[in-house]
Amino acid sequence: MPRFWRRNRHWMTPALLLLPGLILFSLVILAASFETVWISLLDWDGIGAKTWVGLANYVELAEDPQFYVSLKNNIIWLLIFMLAPPIGLALALIVNQQIGGMRILKSLFFVPLVLATVTVGVVFGWVYDPTYGLLQLIFGLFGGTAPALLSDENFATFAVATAGLWPQIAFCMVLFLAGLNNLNEDLIGAGRVDGARGWRMLRHVVLPQLSQVGFIAIAVTVIGALRSFDMVAVMTTGGPYGSSTVLAYQMYEESIFSYRFGYGAAIATVLFAIMIVFIAWYLRGLIKAERSNA
Amino acid sequence: MSSVELRKVDKHYAGYHALKAIDLKIEKGEFVVMVGPSGCGKSTLLKTIAGLETINSGQVVINGHDVTREEPGDRGIAMVFQSYALYPHMTVAENMGFGLRMAKRPKAEIDAAVKRAAKILRLEEQLDKRPKQLSGGQRQRVAIGRAITRSPEVFLFDEPLSNLDAALRTQMRVELSSLHAQLGSTMVYVTHDQIEAMTMADRIVVLNKGQVEQVGSPLELYANPANIFVAGFLGAPRMNFIEARVETVGAASLTLTAAGMPAFAFGDIDPVGISAGDAVTVGIRPENLHVLERADAGQASFPGQVRLVEHLGRETVLYLDASPLQATNSDSGTGNFTVQLNKVSPISVGARLTAGFEIAGAYLFGPDGRTLTSRKPVPAT
Amino acid sequence: MPDVSEDAKLQRALYVGGVTLVVALWLLPLFAVMLTSIRSNEELMAGNYWGWPQKFSLIENYTAVFEQTAMLRFFLNSLLITVPSVIGVLILSTLTGFVLSRYPFRGSNLIFALFVGGNFLPAQIMMIPVRDLMVRLGLYDTVYALIVFHIAFQTGFATLFMRNFIAALPGELFQAARAEGASPFQVLRHVVVPLVRPALAALAILTFTFIWNDYFWAIVLTQSDAVKPVTAGLNNLRGEWTSAWNIISAATIFVALPPVVMFFLMQKHFISGLTMGAVKG
Repeated sequence: MPRFWRRNRHWMTPALLLLPGLILFSLVILAASFETVWISLLDWDGIGAKTWVGLANYVELAEDPQFYVSLKNNIIWLLIFMLAPPIGLALALIVNQQIGGMRILKSLFFVPLVLATVTVGVVFGWVYDPTYGLLQLIFGLFGGTAPALLSDENFATFAVATAGLWPQIAFCMVLFLAGLNNLNEDLIGAGRVDGARGWRMLRHVVLPQLSQVGFIAIAVTVIGALRSFDMVAVMTTGGPYGSSTVLAYQMYEESIFSYRFGYGAAIATVLFAIMIVFIAWYLRGLIKAERSNA
Repeated sequence: MSSVELRKVDKHYAGYHALKAIDLKIEKGEFVVMVGPSGCGKSTLLKTIAGLETINSGQVVINGHDVTREEPGDRGIAMVFQSYALYPHMTVAENMGFGLRMAKRPKAEIDAAVKRAAKILRLEEQLDKRPKQLSGGQRQRVAIGRAITRSPEVFLFDEPLSNLDAALRTQMRVELSSLHAQLGSTMVYVTHDQIEAMTMADRIVVLNKGQVEQVGSPLELYANPANIFVAGFLGAPRMNFIEARVETVGAASLTLTAAGMPAFAFGDIDPVGISAGDAVTVGIRPENLHVLERADAGQASFPGQVRLVEHLGRETVLYLDASPLQATNSDSGTGNFTVQLNKVSPISVGARLTAGFEIAGAYLFGPDGRTLTSRKPVPAT
Repeated sequence: MPDVSEDAKLQRALYVGGVTLVVALWLLPLFAVMLTSIRSNEELMAGNYWGWPQKFSLIENYTAVFEQTAMLRFFLNSLLITVPSVIGVLILSTLTGFVLSRYPFRGSNLIFALFVGGNFLPAQIMMIPVRDLMVRLGLYDTVYALIVFHIAFQTGFATLFMRNFIAALPGELFQAARAEGASPFQVLRHVVVPLVRPALAALAILTFTFIWNDYFWAIVLTQSDAVKPVTAGLNNLRGEWTSAWNIISAATIFVALPPVVMFFLMQKHFISGLTMGAVKG
């Protein structure tokens, strides 16, 4: 036995070391995700018997006006979130200077990133408060009255997504700063020798080198917009009258509040199907980038 | 009983035949250097002996035991790596005692072994330092010390000097040779540097494309390369080659022509399998090329123009353009000859001259690269 | 800095001043919340929301948070959930990362891809089965439900992180250890663990932030105040203390404090970890 172990420990130990993480991850994360697709074909209240209904949940979803509201809101989120990469890049360029005191300013820009989305929700809930909020203060300066953004079905999604933009900009900024840190010094030097300065340097030397990190920022932002849940849950709970729900929130509501687990699972599956397109696109880009770097 | 024996060792990677049925015997106490261009399989072969690479077929035998399926730690080997592979978080003493610690040897024994190795390598003062605080040469010695503490049957060195600067490399070469004399252990050493091979080896194994080209003492390989590959690989500066054609075949000689050269006869040859019209290669070591005052009947000669002159003090190296002669030399490139003169020469760039060589000192290689010239005497050591 | 003309100095000062202004605007919402958290209730009643506070009620407000709300309990719950989760993630991912980077076998790339891919899944896709699983295991509405889930989920990202870090270590260190007879377990203990400490630090702060800030799983897997973490607790508080903005603000700051403090203490680790996580997956 000791001899057997000595000869085989070379592969048996690794197998034993890998198993705990692999089993836990497969069981809780992967198996659960597949199970959801299965549940989406059932009628189930979460406690009682499961009834096979085939694609009925999907058929119902296709006729559910609330689903289209969620889908539309997800698109609005996506469009608003697309502001994060350019703003993040601008801020990154602004703070990327070798000047004393810039370091601490840089860190302060990152703060929204470490705040819980609930915290951001509370903070912005207060900014938007129609009586005492920051927004009212600004409108007040011009003698106006701030609209009650969060209780207005035309504005609620825009207001919530804008709040979500705050940490997302910080995230993009971090990515672009990392990209700026990795700039090829030789190219900058060569650009300088060739007389490129200021805007021309930025346009022709710096930005082309940021294309990979820019791709990452956009991809991460898209995925972030599709995943949005916390802000909606905290700021509007999907209201008023379901006008600000997104797919993730609608799924949660159908399952937890209406006990329609099969239907919720169908929404989750659709959300996942949409996301997988972007995830695949992202992973492909990453692999391509890694290959060209190698 | 030989110390290391490889029997038909074969190794494939995906779509790549790394080692082709290699047979090799290394005697106890021998210092064997495996040399070859990058990608020839020499490092793979060393790791095969170590057990860090598995093989597809064949056997690895160390001290009479078949260790093909044994773990590296159980083979009685110690290995010194190119990057030294010192653990940055351990002191020199901890690095050197690592193997014994892993084998759960008593502390006193570990300390004694570390002290002994440190004494041999003059590392006593450095034992409490971390690798980061050491110079390149000291790190190299710690890596060797780590091997010594395990008192292995066989030491394996994987290009251990390639990260050192030139001066230190020369010094470490001497130290390694004297270490071998002191310990008397079997050492297998891999390098791409033929000077290391020539200076340190009892025997050299020349590898190319996963095959053993030739095995022998340094001087034997230098005097009698088995083929054009070995001839071109060993020796500095490298051998010059001329493309030639066989005109007539004699009993033990050939008459050759080469572009831009009068026909010349090549004696001391085993011409089996060679026929008129075959393409052959003449090999001339740079020290066998001379600048001729006038044509000499005993020598083959050709005109050339000096491209570059290197004054090395006592020696002068000339790079000649000898077109239309079809010449190759891996030091100076296609179309060029390297000539080594044992004196300071006043010849300057642009000069036109006649170069010649004694046919008796030259080599002839057949169409398949095999050496055709008969054995030359090996200088006694 | 030698030889900087007065002109350049002035330009720099102006630049820094400008950027400071941008930062001030950027963090204005947060400053406002901080300011409110030290404002007295009377002042708020009187409508002084933005002026300089006439009276600082820092102590009163925060004491109120501790004494009149369950925030302290939630805070403790968050620690009870986050700390074991982070430790679990570090242990599991060191093991998986070590094996996946140093012991290639048929299918190891596939396993690695599963860890990476799973890391991108939206939480909703696994919500129902995970909740059901926790109910069946009797863990629902206990901190263990969240601990188990967070360890499992973060192991995906953390494996990616640790594998890439260990793969970037010099391969000869591992060959040397093997040649000296170290068993895989000894390699792990004597070579890997000492060398991955910086990566573990970065990973620890990242996963701490992720788990501390989680809201979704907190509301999916817990119900009672006795186990709820701060994020879910804070949101509840908002319902209970509708217009006591000073108390809610103080509670908000209280929730935000640990990750922010961690961030400022280990900023370099945080940023490098986050960038690597995003860039590599």
